[in-house]
Amino acid sequence: MSFTSLGFFILAAACTCVYYLLKSSHRWICLLLFSALYYAAAGPVFLLFVLFAAFTTWVGGRYAVGQKKAAVAIPLLLDFGVLAYLKYSAFAVSLLNLLPGVSLGLPQTLLPLGISFYTFQSAGYLLDVYWKRCEPEENFFRYLLFVGFFPQLMQGPIGRCSTLMPQLQEGHAFDILQIRRGLWRICWGLFKKLLIADNAALYVNTIFDEYQSIQSLGLQGVLMYSVQLYMDFSGGIDIALGVAELVGIHLDENFRQPYFAQSLTEFWHRWHITLGTWMKDYLFYPVSLSGWMGSFRKMCRKRFGKETGRAMAVGVANLIVFLAVGIWHGPAWHFIAYGLYNGVIISVSGLLTGTFRKWKRALGIKDSMRWFQGFRMLRTFAIVNVSWFLDRSGSVPQALQMLTSSFRGSIFSLTVIRSDDLQYCLLHFLPVLIGCVIVLIVSIFKERKKNVLAWAAGLPGWVLPAVFAAVLIAAALLGNKESGGFIYANF
Amino acid sequence: MEELIRILEEIQPDADYENCTTLIDDEILSSLDVMSIVAELEDEYDIRILPVEIVPANFNSAEAMWQMVQRLREG
Repeated sequence: MSFTSLGFFILAAACTCVYYLLKSSHRWICLLLFSALYYAAAGPVFLLFVLFAAFTTWVGGRYAVGQKKAAVAIPLLLDFGVLAYLKYSAFAVSLLNLLPGVSLGLPQTLLPLGISFYTFQSAGYLLDVYWKRCEPEENFFRYLLFVGFFPQLMQGPIGRCSTLMPQLQEGHAFDILQIRRGLWRICWGLFKKLLIADNAALYVNTIFDEYQSIQSLGLQGVLMYSVQLYMDFSGGIDIALGVAELVGIHLDENFRQPYFAQSLTEFWHRWHITLGTWMKDYLFYPVSLSGWMGSFRKMCRKRFGKETGRAMAVGVANLIVFLAVGIWHGPAWHFIAYGLYNGVIISVSGLLTGTFRKWKRALGIKDSMRWFQGFRMLRTFAIVNVSWFLDRSGSVPQALQMLTSSFRGSIFSLTVIRSDDLQYCLLHFLPVLIGCVIVLIVSIFKERKKNVLAWAAGLPGWVLPAVFAAVLIAAALLGNKESGGFIYANF
Repeated sequence: MEELIRILEEIQPDADYENCTTLIDDEILSSLDVMSIVAELEDEYDIRILPVEIVPANFNSAEAMWQMVQRLREG
């Protein structure tokens, strides 16, 4: 059930109505039942996978208190084992088939909706209990709601037990301002997804899927992909946050104006924030603090000096984290290359931090200088766009070919999606252009710490339905009728 | 404490370690900085810092880091 389908909005509206009709202490049961309904609609068998992940980590959590390693290790092995089998077994077999004399049949597996998201969220809970960052939940069904709360099931955000669990269990009082904020957020998400992302997808799909016959337009393709991906993913998250807001639940923000980042490290603090913090807390820190990493760090310090040795150890930990990020994105070499590209740049810039600092001092450049901030922003945007070639292309050679041909031949074509129909092309390109300008203006306000959502919620009551209707009518007239759902729902 | 501040300034010189109590909350120190600090503290004070200690409360100020170091040295 897609976030843009009528069925989803009927479910969300019914859930909100029933939620406020029930006694405060029973409201969490309403959320659990509607979550089960949402997941069952995707396929009853998928519900079993959520139940399995929830049950194993719940039992593990009950025994993890007191630092019992097995209580953590067994559920993690089981859940990540299921994820690895369903998501990566075909890729692993295809690698084995490269060996001489090996010819195994590729396993046919199904990929349950949002399995990466709820596996990561439940694993985070278990580790938090183990590290005493949160208390184990005694009631399985309350815990099941934490794992499977329906707005976040499909594409996150990945919630944390310390902030999400208490909110889910509390019976929130009806608050009209909160409902308005939620509806505005949903409307904003629909605008980004239906009018911008889906129209940009027309160009992206044409340029990337037909790159061999087009032989140019790589730059246009990747810039439009940077628009599509951001609007698609953040639009979906806006809808998830908006629906949760209707029942008084504040999910974690997943984006903070990422294209304003001044370094790749900062970009990852602004893009898919909940995955970044998950990776930091449950992979980067444990790897960095492990015994073998400590020995490696000491060896590097002896050999290369204090500062370089330290940066090398952090760099290796970063490479491991971004390799995991790449693998998380999917079972394909171009995703692994995408992860490693990010890891290498962040690790190398960590190694060169001292040198950069000396250069800046010698040239009299300060981080607070506006022109320097602008330069860093553009540089980061360019670095990120190179990574999008790897992310979107079907293979590493395709990414490299498109990257190298970016400035060859023509760099922009309005009619690439339908060469004989300028009107059709304009009707799909202009919403992207105008939509980007609107999102940019809102982003600038947000960057200046203005609460745009609270401002919108305070507008006269007729404005929201008028804007909502305008977005839906515009989407019906100008949207891409062949939109293929949300990109991150496939993770 | 002076030694600790010297270590911190070596890793991230653009912070006010004497007064700031929101080094993590305000993102003055990144996760990479935190790991560099942990590495230095482990070597300098001969302590072992486990993942359970990596919480904002232990790194939001130089004072909080010093308290953590003292606690781990005693423990």
